[in-house]
Amino acid sequence: MGELTDLWVGVQNWLFETFVGPVIFWLGQMAWYEPAYNAVEFVMLGALQIAVIALGMRFFEKRWPLEKTGDDRLIGVDRVYTVLNKLGIIPFAIFVITYPISQEIELLMRSWGMAPPRIERLVPWLGDNVLASFLVYFVLYDFAAYWLHRAQHAIPWWWALHSLHHSQRRMTVWSDDRNHVLDDFLTTLALVLFSQMVGVQPGEYVTILVVGRLVESWSHANVDMSFGRIGERLLVGPRFHRLHHALANPEERHIHDHNFAPVFPIWDILFGTAIYDGKHRPTGVDDPVIDADNGRGWAVQQVTVFGRFLRAITPRFLRAPFQPGLRPPAE
Amino acid sequence: MKRLAIAATMLLAVVGTAKADAVLVLNSEEASYSILSRATRTELARLPVGREPHHLMPTPDGKEVLIGSTATNELLALDSNTGDRRRVIANIIDPYQLGFSRDGKWFVTVAYRLDHVDIFHADGFKLAGRIFIDGLPSHMAFDAESKTVFVSLQQSGRLAAFDLATQTLKWNVPVGNTPAGVLMLPDNNRLLVALTGEDGVAVVDPKDGKVTGRLQTGKGAHNFWPKGDGRHWFVSNRVEGSVSLIDTQDMKLTGSIKVPGGPDCMDITADGKELWVTQRFLRRVAVVDLEQMKVVASIPVGKSPHGVYMLKSGPAAPGSPVSPAGGPLRAVSTGSGTTR
Repeated sequence: MGELTDLWVGVQNWLFETFVGPVIFWLGQMAWYEPAYNAVEFVMLGALQIAVIALGMRFFEKRWPLEKTGDDRLIGVDRVYTVLNKLGIIPFAIFVITYPISQEIELLMRSWGMAPPRIERLVPWLGDNVLASFLVYFVLYDFAAYWLHRAQHAIPWWWALHSLHHSQRRMTVWSDDRNHVLDDFLTTLALVLFSQMVGVQPGEYVTILVVGRLVESWSHANVDMSFGRIGERLLVGPRFHRLHHALANPEERHIHDHNFAPVFPIWDILFGTAIYDGKHRPTGVDDPVIDADNGRGWAVQQVTVFGRFLRAITPRFLRAPFQPGLRPPAE
Repeated sequence: MKRLAIAATMLLAVVGTAKADAVLVLNSEEASYSILSRATRTELARLPVGREPHHLMPTPDGKEVLIGSTATNELLALDSNTGDRRRVIANIIDPYQLGFSRDGKWFVTVAYRLDHVDIFHADGFKLAGRIFIDGLPSHMAFDAESKTVFVSLQQSGRLAAFDLATQTLKWNVPVGNTPAGVLMLPDNNRLLVALTGEDGVAVVDPKDGKVTGRLQTGKGAHNFWPKGDGRHWFVSNRVEGSVSLIDTQDMKLTGSIKVPGGPDCMDITADGKELWVTQRFLRRVAVVDLEQMKVVASIPVGKSPHGVYMLKSGPAAPGSPVSPAGGPLRAVSTGSGTTR
């Protein structure tokens, strides 16, 4: 483990001291020296995730595909989303906006004397158990992510954005990052603030993000797999999450209002939104406006979905009489 | 049973010996501190502490060492001989850098992220005054009379002086790009300010903040630590990846040691033979042999190691030179009979 850490940190340090650090110094922005070093690690982790998806997860999709036929051209745009997100291009843009906001909120609270709690203070035993402590913070983070996800489906203007993620008819391991940048911004801001409030460490946050996103990439895989009868109740897998992307049908108008959990299905089990029936269903959204996202490129999707969002936040009396695609399809 | 008792006794003896020569290192991005053995150059333990611990400082009586947890607004006090936890001092807002005035009456913290300087009565840590100041206040130094604290402002490129008794600003002047470490030289007439956005240190007049000279050390000059003879000081250069040795009497560079990985805080062993330097980016602490002037070991610790401190420091010797932020310094046997 020590050798792996040395190798990882050695590469990070070399990349930073060779390419990034000198630029920061030349620009006279040394106050950003440490954050820039961490950004290099973020990009490295992104490259590693892409490698795991392309070489590991894709193997299972190729070997045991669930949907053997379909328009594979629809998948290409999801690869663009994955690269833009994992290599930090979208996260960097989001960071530039969210960082000052989250900082201001945190600093305001701390200047009032409010400091984020550490669960280790309530449960001292956790302080000596790094893995247990990490798992507690991971579970808390996932709890917040579960309720955010429910909000993305329940609030019309948020659904207008989030529906882009659900519009994919050819769901694969590349689909997890298929989100509108505004949707990414809102969820990032909320989760960063939540993490600060409950006391997640910066290092823990990065690990939670990486492990969580890998689980989520796998849960979008085009395979009929799970972690077993008990395992699928502990960790979200492709069979569980595919139901959440299911195309609504006359018998199951609310089918996608289930299995929201990003990583730990316990939230769906506790709050009555879990379904384990093992049925195969096609994916997508039964709204022609949203379904039209399929076949569009990254930029066109971003523009048209932002248009959907604008219409959704426009007061009802100012809207045109018929505005498809504004409501969650369950309604 | 007898064997078990012998083994337990031996273990306790080893732990005891280890604590006696222990070095504390703050892992700023892991909310932990490492305890290292000076003799074996290994990590003995990694213990939890608040959140985002950056710097630490012994108390004027030398009995405790205080660790500032910036994100949990508190200080953790450890026994400076054994490293055992003693108490938590709460409601110290964003204690990024800590320091005591030479007379031990004032305790000052700078809130790097919250942009303020807090001046406390050291006895009881009662807040005397808070001064808000823009520009990322980061490092500090005190004058010999314990009347003034000098604080570098990294983002605005300035150095500010505050009157301790009245908690008011005396002056605030530009000194160079990204000033960090501040050092009051023993003559009490010159301040040195490490310029992290440049490649050396500025010499500043403590009366008015006027820059009177410059000395090139290396790119990203960041922090100071005394060699112990009252004349030579080490300067860590974060971008250059080196530690410079400067002669503050003749104001010249006398040596340079390659220390990769963003070298930052330093401490020297009591015998004056080794300098320990945190390597922020490599998650290690470098051990520099000062006779050979090179790194002879690098010890793995936690993420982003920042402050480093040798236990068993003892109380300050009267009139001894002080560490950059004013903490007491133990006697070192450098042959010159001086203290650091």
